[in-house]
Amino acid sequence: MVIELRGIWHKYPGMAAWALENISAELTSGRVILVSGHNGSGKTTLLKIAALLYRPLRGDVIVDGQSFWEMSEAEKIAARRKITYVHEKPILIRGSVLENIAYPLRIRGLDSRNVAERAEIIMKELELMELADKNAKELSTGQSQLVAIARALAVEPELILLDEPFAHLDSERSRLVAAALQERRRNGAGIVIASHGGGELPDELEPDEVIVLEEGRIRR
Amino acid sequence: MSQVFSEILDVSLRSIYVSGFATLLSASWSIPAAYLLSLRRRVVVLEALIESLVGMPTVLLGLLLFLLLSSSGPLGFLKLLYTPQAIIIGQAILITPLIISTCYRALRGIATSYLELALSLGAGRSQAMMLVLRESAPGVAASTIMGFSRAVGELGIAMMVGGNIRGFTRVMTTAIALDVARGEFESAIILGIILLVLMIMTAISVKILMGVRAQ
Repeated sequence: MVIELRGIWHKYPGMAAWALENISAELTSGRVILVSGHNGSGKTTLLKIAALLYRPLRGDVIVDGQSFWEMSEAEKIAARRKITYVHEKPILIRGSVLENIAYPLRIRGLDSRNVAERAEIIMKELELMELADKNAKELSTGQSQLVAIARALAVEPELILLDEPFAHLDSERSRLVAAALQERRRNGAGIVIASHGGGELPDELEPDEVIVLEEGRIRR
Repeated sequence: MSQVFSEILDVSLRSIYVSGFATLLSASWSIPAAYLLSLRRRVVVLEALIESLVGMPTVLLGLLLFLLLSSSGPLGFLKLLYTPQAIIIGQAILITPLIISTCYRALRGIATSYLELALSLGAGRSQAMMLVLRESAPGVAASTIMGFSRAVGELGIAMMVGGNIRGFTRVMTTAIALDVARGEFESAIILGIILLVLMIMTAISVKILMGVRAQ
């Protein structure tokens, strides 16, 4: 899968400054891309545009050779189903950890047995089995982050975009997530990680490319 | 005496049926409207307009509906005047701004983020809407119950387009008004108490649901 961002300009309503200015980038399967930059540099906006959630004011988002915002609704759903995005502040739905992880599998029409099997695999991988029946609203921020990552990985997407995925995780869990992401990269998935400041990633996850954002522009 | 109680029971059940149906009908368009509204920015004017319609006098709406549904009116051919269906339509219209307004408040803070979450996990538009409504279910249910409470307690529409016909369109509020006019205070008081209990039960349900939402 290839997502091309072509000359992207984006601005939020009521804001004078551009959040992104003339951004072009290519996000492809099998690579790890680190998007680095300080707070407010446009990392989240860039990721949300690449995750096909925001429509840029100018420029185009090309998914496997086709302009995403020109696609039919069915094509858009199909394209979005190849990608998952993990928010910086984890958003969990009402219900247990298991129900959260099962949600993207259910909306894809998988039967209950298949959903349970795939949810169990990812929960074992990220050591979440003990929390399976726990109410998602009772989790700590770190646990919530881990569940949100597990939920995004459960559908084995072709491209995974994560906004500050290690911000709330301790070093042990960071390594666990990094290993899981590394495994997906080996299997051909693309990984895009936004990280502020120095943009340090766990050792297990060496980026193939680093995009540095500064006030909405790519620093060359 | 038993005839009086049988009539009170008949009127009470009709009130619940008519207002319950009106609430369901109104919710069917008000909740999607509130959802769409909650996803939009700059809706201050629309929000103010809807809120101003929440307190619309029921007699005014009753009069408008009467003029529309009367035999010489533009919708007179439907022959709905003085039927329970006319009351249902009138009450559904009456509570629409209330359900939209309260439901919008329940959805406003969370709709965008849950829509985004649903889309980011591969949901279609309708699946995303279902997720947003599921996440705000207590608030949405509370707004619907408030709508029912307003509908069951209104008098103007039931009187003007229902006609207060015994055994057909007579509901609690119109029955109370008639009993008072006739000096039959006993049955008016009993109906008043039933209406009050219904309103209190509704208010308690809303409080419980709001409590669930706050958790």
